[in-house]
Amino acid sequence: MLFFSFFKTLTNQTVTIELKNDIRIRGTLKSVDQYLNIKLDDVDVLDLDKYPHLSSVKNMFIRGSVVRYVVLPRSEVDVGLLEDATRREAANQAGKAR
Amino acid sequence: MSFFGFNTTLPRDRAPPGDQRGIFDAPDPFAEVARAQAAGLQADDDDVIDFEDTYDGLGDQLDEDQDEFNDDTFGGGGDTGGVGRDFDFFGKTAQVADVIGEEQIRYGLQKPQGSVIPPAAETAATLAAVEAAAAQKPKRSGYEKYEDPGYIPDLQAKSSVWSAHKKTEPSFQAPSLAKKMMSLEEVEAQMRQHPTAPPPGLSQPPVSLPQPMPDLSHFQQPLQPPLPEGFPHLPPEFVQAQLAKGIPPSQLLPPPPMVPEHFPMPGHAPNIPLHLLQNAHLPPQAMTPPQRQAMPPRAQRPYPQQQPQQQQQPQQQPQPPVIPQGPRAQANQMPMVTNPQQLMHLNEEQRIAYLMEDARRAKRNHKIFLLSKGNGLMTPQDKNFITRIQLQQLVAAAGNVADFDSEAVLSEDFYYQVYSQIRGAPRQHPHQPLGHFAQTYLLQTGNRLGGHGSRRHGNSADNHMQRMQQQVQRAVEAAKQKPKNKQLIIEGSLGKISFGNAKAPKPMLNIKRPDSSEGAKTTKKAHADLSLSDRKSILANIEGVYSALMELEDMERTMPPPPDENDPEAIQQHMEWRQKVRALNQKLWQKLKVMEPIVPNTNHPHPFIAFLSCPKGKKAIPRIFRQIDQEQRVTILTMIVVNLDTLDVVRRAQLMPGETQLSLAVREAIELFSQAVMPSLLGYVNEAPFNIIIGLLGLVIAQTHVEMVAKTRIGLGILTMLLSRAEIVKEAGQATERDWQQWVEKFNVLFDTLEPIFPDLFPHSINAGDDMYVWQFLAAVGIGASPEQQQRLVIAVKDRVMETVTYSKTLPADMASQRLGNVNLFMRAIGLDVELLG
Amino acid sequence: MERLSINDPPAGGQHGIAPPGLSQQQQQQQNHSLGPMAQTQGPPQLPPQMFTTAAQLLDLTDKKLVLVLRDGRKLIGVLRSWDQFANLVLQDTVERLYAGNLYADIPRGIFLVRGENVLLLGEIDLDREDELPTTVQRASFQEVFELKQKEEERRKGNDKKRHGKLRGLGFEAEHSGEILF
Repeated sequence: MLFFSFFKTLTNQTVTIELKNDIRIRGTLKSVDQYLNIKLDDVDVLDLDKYPHLSSVKNMFIRGSVVRYVVLPRSEVDVGLLEDATRREAANQAGKAR
Repeated sequence: MSFFGFNTTLPRDRAPPGDQRGIFDAPDPFAEVARAQAAGLQADDDDVIDFEDTYDGLGDQLDEDQDEFNDDTFGGGGDTGGVGRDFDFFGKTAQVADVIGEEQIRYGLQKPQGSVIPPAAETAATLAAVEAAAAQKPKRSGYEKYEDPGYIPDLQAKSSVWSAHKKTEPSFQAPSLAKKMMSLEEVEAQMRQHPTAPPPGLSQPPVSLPQPMPDLSHFQQPLQPPLPEGFPHLPPEFVQAQLAKGIPPSQLLPPPPMVPEHFPMPGHAPNIPLHLLQNAHLPPQAMTPPQRQAMPPRAQRPYPQQQPQQQQQPQQQPQPPVIPQGPRAQANQMPMVTNPQQLMHLNEEQRIAYLMEDARRAKRNHKIFLLSKGNGLMTPQDKNFITRIQLQQLVAAAGNVADFDSEAVLSEDFYYQVYSQIRGAPRQHPHQPLGHFAQTYLLQTGNRLGGHGSRRHGNSADNHMQRMQQQVQRAVEAAKQKPKNKQLIIEGSLGKISFGNAKAPKPMLNIKRPDSSEGAKTTKKAHADLSLSDRKSILANIEGVYSALMELEDMERTMPPPPDENDPEAIQQHMEWRQKVRALNQKLWQKLKVMEPIVPNTNHPHPFIAFLSCPKGKKAIPRIFRQIDQEQRVTILTMIVVNLDTLDVVRRAQLMPGETQLSLAVREAIELFSQAVMPSLLGYVNEAPFNIIIGLLGLVIAQTHVEMVAKTRIGLGILTMLLSRAEIVKEAGQATERDWQQWVEKFNVLFDTLEPIFPDLFPHSINAGDDMYVWQFLAAVGIGASPEQQQRLVIAVKDRVMETVTYSKTLPADMASQRLGNVNLFMRAIGLDVELLG
Repeated sequence: MERLSINDPPAGGQHGIAPPGLSQQQQQQQNHSLGPMAQTQGPPQLPPQMFTTAAQLLDLTDKKLVLVLRDGRKLIGVLRSWDQFANLVLQDTVERLYAGNLYADIPRGIFLVRGENVLLLGEIDLDREDELPTTVQRASFQEVFELKQKEEERRKGNDKKRHGKLRGLGFEAEHSGEILF
């Protein structure tokens, strides 16, 4: 649940998502769910010429499993807190595995 | 249900007969109206409010001519005997809008439907039209929001709607809405239903594109459009009309849309003379496009209080000739054209632009209409249900199905919960024990560090640290970077390829590492002084510290209330808690490895010093200092002082010959150390007894390479810390004569050692400006120095003083005063002032 | 005091219950330093319902969408229903075939798509949908289909070569075993 928790804090931030088929989409992250599906608003498809089928799309639901990267705004990430969250997650996982 | 030979897959029929009202959907009172009317058209049920009570009389002002097309509109015959003028719309609506008995009423209304309707063909046809119109009328187009030009899609806005775990969703608004709506729209709809004397203007069939035509002849064919026959046929008259207005046909006739479109445009509609409605005394708002002209003027009359509701809830009237979005939205979006005169005054270009815009909007509305035919397949209940399933899954994933308690939330959603607090959000559940965490991380976060200073000296000390930061940053930006050659280190084996799963993902890299460990060593020259295993163990140590630290911080949250003397149980509880805290404190202390013996003459740094060489280790210090006692603090400080010259921020901060600037990594490390570690140390030093200060200075002199230490920012910072504290103790009269003698001895040694290199303490040439901390140190030395030492001090640094004074004359005023202020800090310490230098 | 809230005084506070060894002075400092931060306020935390698949699909319901599947198919239709796995029901669906600078539409009808095959789902702006980029033109199905098949063959060949080279460098194909467009 760490990534879910993490992406939740990026709501309403502008992110760029690169899919596994190389499409890159910039937009406002409106929501994320437990599968890390992502809802983007006001999307802007980079290299739109190559993807004419996305030319009139304004909002998008992206399946989490096809995402390769998410480019985030650095200022919106609290690294120290994220480190501790990661430690907690690791401890949780270890606890569950036992 | 094919009483009337209709396509029984009309949306109404497909929609489940269940309650349409849920948290996802605005209540739609007219769904019931439609059914009530279809079923009980004949019934004279006027028990609630009479038509006359709600009729505003506007219809009476209309011209009662222009009736030629009434038959076309209402299906000829004139035999619509079933619908009388006295039919009570409002009463009907109010009845069915009663939410409590909704289910029963609907059931009751639908069931007798077949039997109530007389089989007479003509009547049936009329009713069929009514039914069809009602059925075809979408409950919700799904695009309502886009009618609002200011609409910004925002999930947040909906969150209030969601907030229901309560079951009280049903249409609490319905009755009042229904009443409001009825008073205007429905009454007029009733007027229009009257077949014999329809008021002109009102009786005109709406030609606006997005409209379903409530025209009988058209309803004989199935309206659910099957897949396209291709291009929609606009009646030629319509096209001509548009052409007459100067719109190129290409704009009127859009390219075939992706989804088959079907214009339910009655062939005869455009026969309406264009001037017809212009003569109506109710001013149409924007005239020119025929579809607008043909719009019944009533739709263009302002209904201020109605507008928002209608956008939310398209109605289901028996004869709803106007989709609410259409005209009103247009009026909304083109506020500058409110009457035909205005349009006339526009120049040709503007007019075409306006007309094109209008056509575009009409086109979109038509699309929305077409799409909306299948709306509501998924009911709000369905959506709600799925949401609940997911919420349940989330709770289950948190490991605690029974209650969504705060501990589970914390462990699974830690980052989000704490982050939203740090960034200033009050919690949704104010009783969650999170404040503590927020504070922990607030302390850790960048410029919020500090606040540990003493009341007496703290503020200036903190500011001095912060001002030093700013100075460094300026220098960093001014100077060009000289990156060191670094090579990528590939750590750890990435393993073989296999098909992965969620627990063990398939590695995407399969890099063969050199077999010999020699090969691996050569790749990490950058950390030449640390073997791979050393580095690993250091990082593991750090993690050990953090886990102990986090356990301790968790304990703080579970602190029992202060024990009542008379409650042995509470006392017991409290004792246990303290016991645990003490044990954890010991664990933390061990993990820090401060007490490990110092091994002289080794190239392995002390484990605690290694700990401090990592950014993570530096960042932990403020949190550690909150959890340990004074004795542990002084131990840490002692350890740092003794190993000052092996500390990374000192050892690596030595400029090599020819270098003008430290590497970026080192500068960052220094920055972090001053932000994270120094305030904690300063906080302790400012409270420390004098003998400890004396001891620490003695250690610096005896155990470290003082010249090397003094040439670094951190080293000088610590020396400044000690010297200034001694001065404060002395001024406060807290130092015994014997202690003071001891101090002076040490001080003299320090002074003599550093005297030859006083000018070299300045790291950069004068124009770099990064020398504030040096002036601070010199000031601290100057205060404690004897007059004779002060003399020597001035001689040693007078060149730099003069240079700075001269140089600052070339600077802008604010920078100059800053630079002079730094110098003056020193000058004043020895009783001089830059002013005296002229 | 059992559960500290952000407005409570920090631990180690007034009651003399402090982590062992804290001097009175230190405690006061801590109180002093933490006090002002305890007042932090701001926008409300978002409710958990917002972070569900349902919330994401809610606004797309009954809208005209383009659905891109993992096999590269592009379907245009109206989203009528869905569930928590993002299994979807589309109505009045048209498949749009792209090849080179041509495209063709094939009416398909109703689609029920298993969620795992979804790549993305985009809401079409009804005002812009007819303004196709000038780079693509409508053509007959036959023409586009043949062109597409040729393209596919070429692409498969290229992919194979590329994967071979990448594997030599230690990269496993990102979607080996499944094709992803």
